[in-house]
Amino acid sequence: MTETNAGSPHAATSEAESDAVDHSSSANIEGSPVVADSDPLLEVRGLEKHYPITRGFLRREVGRVRAVDGIDFDIGRGEALGLVGESGSGKTTAAHSILRLEEPTAGEIVFDGESVTDLSGPNLRSFRRRAQLVVQDPNEAFNPRLTVGSAVAEPLSLHGMSDESRRRAIVEDVLERVGLSGDDADRYPHEFSGGEKQRISIARALVCNPDLIVADEPTSALDARVQSDVLALLADIRREHDISILFISHDLDVVRLFCDRVAVMYLGEIVEQGPIEDVLESPAHPYTRVLMNSVPSLDPSDRTFESPLTDTIPDPGDPPSGCRFHTRCPELIPPADLAVSDEEWQTLAAFRFTIETGELPSAVDPTTVGDVDAATVREEFDLPTELADQELNRRIGSAVEAVASGDVETAGQELASVLPTVCEQVVPTQSTHRGRPVNCHRYDPDREAEPVAWRGAGL
Amino acid sequence: MSTDPSRHRFEDVDWNEIERTRSLVTSQRLIFVVGLVVLFAMYTYDSYTGLYFLGTWEVETLDWLVFAGLVFIGSFVGVPLVRHGARTKQIVRRIVSRPAHAIAMGFLSLLAFSGIVGPAIYGDVRISFGNQYNPPIGSTSKMGWANQCAGEVTTAADGFTRLCHGSMANPLGTNHRGQPMGYLLIEGASVAMDVVLFTLAFVVPLAAIVGIVAGFRGGRIDDLLMSYVDVQLCIPAILVFIMGYMYWNVSLLLLLVTFGLLSWGGIARIVRSETLQRREDGYVLVARSLGASAPYIGRRHIIPNITNTLVPAVFHLLALFVLVEAGIAFLGFHHIETYSWGSTIQEGLTLSVSTGQSYVDPPATSSKLWWVSTLPAIALTITLVSLKLSGDALRDALDPRQTN
Repeated sequence: MTETNAGSPHAATSEAESDAVDHSSSANIEGSPVVADSDPLLEVRGLEKHYPITRGFLRREVGRVRAVDGIDFDIGRGEALGLVGESGSGKTTAAHSILRLEEPTAGEIVFDGESVTDLSGPNLRSFRRRAQLVVQDPNEAFNPRLTVGSAVAEPLSLHGMSDESRRRAIVEDVLERVGLSGDDADRYPHEFSGGEKQRISIARALVCNPDLIVADEPTSALDARVQSDVLALLADIRREHDISILFISHDLDVVRLFCDRVAVMYLGEIVEQGPIEDVLESPAHPYTRVLMNSVPSLDPSDRTFESPLTDTIPDPGDPPSGCRFHTRCPELIPPADLAVSDEEWQTLAAFRFTIETGELPSAVDPTTVGDVDAATVREEFDLPTELADQELNRRIGSAVEAVASGDVETAGQELASVLPTVCEQVVPTQSTHRGRPVNCHRYDPDREAEPVAWRGAGL
Repeated sequence: MSTDPSRHRFEDVDWNEIERTRSLVTSQRLIFVVGLVVLFAMYTYDSYTGLYFLGTWEVETLDWLVFAGLVFIGSFVGVPLVRHGARTKQIVRRIVSRPAHAIAMGFLSLLAFSGIVGPAIYGDVRISFGNQYNPPIGSTSKMGWANQCAGEVTTAADGFTRLCHGSMANPLGTNHRGQPMGYLLIEGASVAMDVVLFTLAFVVPLAAIVGIVAGFRGGRIDDLLMSYVDVQLCIPAILVFIMGYMYWNVSLLLLLVTFGLLSWGGIARIVRSETLQRREDGYVLVARSLGASAPYIGRRHIIPNITNTLVPAVFHLLALFVLVEAGIAFLGFHHIETYSWGSTIQEGLTLSVSTGQSYVDPPATSSKLWWVSTLPAIALTITLVSLKLSGDALRDALDPRQTN
C-alpha cells in the first residue's frame, strides 16, 4: 500500500497548538520556565521539501527525495525547541526551509504572524535580521579570508549599517559579551579554537538582535567540556534577550540540557513531540526509544533500552510504506493470527527486514563466503529452530534455504508474505499519549495492539 | 566617532532608521558610474572635435576600451584596496618580503607605467631612415654611406670603414627606420599593457561571472553554460583571428577580441568547480540566510577563497596572451603601425632580407645589429617571467594562513 500521509499533518494542527500551550508546566533544566504565549513566534504547518530526481538532458522527473514530508511544530517566544533525529532525517532541510534558504515544496511557515514565504522587500529583510543561523561545523562557519571582525560585522553591513566605526564598536562589544576580547576582531578564523569559533558564530547570530536563532548542531563538532561551555553561553543569551531557539541535534542528551520541548524526526516526518521532560521520562514512539538507546551509558546494568531491528536507514527517495519506521521498529505489530512469542516475532522481523535491505551480514553473504548452509543462516540471525506453528516453521525454513542458496529476492518475498504487519500497510494517524502527539499504530485506539510499556523509566 | 554608549550595543540599533536611510550608493559604484560618464564625455568630445588630449596621442577604439577597463578595475579593485589600507599594506609587505616576487611586481609596475603613460610622453616619433642603425651606448656599428650617426664617428683599423658609436641621443640605438629602440620598447610595453588590461577588465570578469553563475545556480543553467564552454574550447582562436584578418581591418582589438572571447573557458571551469565546493559552506549559508545576493557572495566569499587557484591561472592567461600577441606580430599579422615587441624582434632578425641592399653594407646583418631584436626579446622574456612570478606572489600574499 502506498498511501501518503500528506493529509495527516493538517489534521494534527489542533493538537500541536494545544500542545504548545500546555508545555509551560515543564520546568527545564536551565531554570528558565517559559511562559508560553498564546501566539507562538514561529508556526510550521505541513512543511514539505521534496527534491526531484531527474534524468536526461530535459531533466525529466523520475522520482522525489522527500527530505521533509509534512511536519508541524510551533516555537513560542523565548522557547527552545529541539529537533532530533539521525542524519538524513531531514532536520537540516527543515531548518533551511524555515530560513528561506530553500523554497519549501508545500506548507506554511508563519513567523510572528506573517507567512515567511510571502515576504518581500523590507519585510523580508526584517525577517532575515530577526531569524539567524548558527551552522554546525565551526571550521567552515567563517570565510578564511576575512577577519573575525568583518565576519561578525557582516550582518550589520548587509543590512545597511554603513557607519564603519559604529559597526566596529558593536562588534567589539558583542565579542566581549561572548567571552572573547575586542582585539580579536582583527584576527583570522584559523587563529581560534573550535569552541572560540562557535562563540564567534553565536556573536554573529546575535549582532542583529534576533528573535529566533536556528542552531544546526552547534556543538556536535566540539568535545564535551567545550560543548557545555557553548551551551551555557547559548542559554545565557537566550535568557538575556528572550530569543527563541530551534536547536537541531542528533544527541538527546544535549537537547535534554538545553531545550524546553523536543520534536523527534524520522525520514522527513515528526514521529513524536512534547515537553522535553515528558518525552525523555516516558518516550512513546519506538524511534524515540531507539534514539535514547543510542546514547552510550556508563552504567553496565543499563540494558533496558531497545535497539533497532536493522541499522540501515532507508533511502528517503523511496521511503518504506505505511509507518516509515516499520523496517527498523523493535515494537513492530505482529499479525493477530500469528502464534509466536514477542521475542520470536522480533527475531523473525529482524530477519525479514535485514533480508529486504539486501545487505547480508558477511558470514552469510555468498559473495564473500563461498558456501552457506541453512544452519549458518539460522545461527547468524539467531532464528528459533522450532516454532509452534508448523506452517510458519516450514515457510521460514524455505526462506532460510533461499538465503543459503543466495536467492535473497525469493527469501524476501516469502518472508513478506508470511510475516505481514499492519505497520507496513497503513500510515499511522496522529494519536495522543499523555497529551502529546505521537505517530504510531500502537497508540491508535482503533488498533488492537497496545503500547509497549517503557522499561527505561526512572533512569 | 560618537561616545554615546548606545551606539555600540547591538540591542540599541534602530533598524527602522537604518532601513529608511538605506541606499544603493557605495563609493565603488559611485566612482564606477562617474568614471564611465567622464569617459563617455571625453569620447564624445574627441569624436566631434578631433582634438588631442595629451601631446600628439591619437586615442583609438582600443584605448577607449582600455580606459573603460581601467575605470572598472580602479573602482572595484582599487577602491577596496585604498579603503582597507591596513590589509593592502600587509599584502604589499608580504610581497616585498620575497626579493624575487618584489622584483617581478616592481618590473610589472614599471611596465604598466611606461606602457600607459610612456606613449603619451614620447609622442609620435617620425621615421627617419637617415638615423638608421645607430648602436646603443658602448657599442659600435658599421655605417653605410647614406646614414647619419648621432654619436661619434671613427674610422676602423682598415682605414676605410666608418664606425658609428652609441650616444645619449639614442641610448638604446635605432632600428632600420631610424626609430629609437627606447621608443619601440615603450610602444611594445604599451601593446602588452593593452593586452593585460583588456584581459583583466573584460575576459577575467566574464570567466568569473560565468563560473560563479554555473556553480551557484546549477541545474540546467550549469549544463548550458558548461556545454557552451566545451564548444568554445574546441574553436581555435587563431583560425577565427585569421578569418577576421582576411575580411576586416586588422588591429590589436581584433586579436584581443578573438583570443579574449574564446579563451576564458578554462578559468570559468576552475571558478565553477571551486564555487561548487564552497556554496554549501557555513559562511555562504549564513550570508544567504542574511539575504546576501549572489553577486555579493561571489565577490566577497567565493572569489577571495579561490585566489589560490584563480590568481595563478589568471596570470598564466595574461602571460599567454602577451606571448600570443607577440607571436602573431612576429608572423606579421599585425597592424603596420603597431610596434609590438614581436614585430620588432622579427624585423631585427630579418634585417638583411627586409631592407634589401640599398642602405646597408652587406656585413650589416642581423647578428651585427643585435640590439634591434635582442632588446625587445629581453623585455618580452622578463615580462613573461614577471607575470608568472607575480601570480605566485599575489597568491601567497592574499592567503592569510601563509606565513613567510
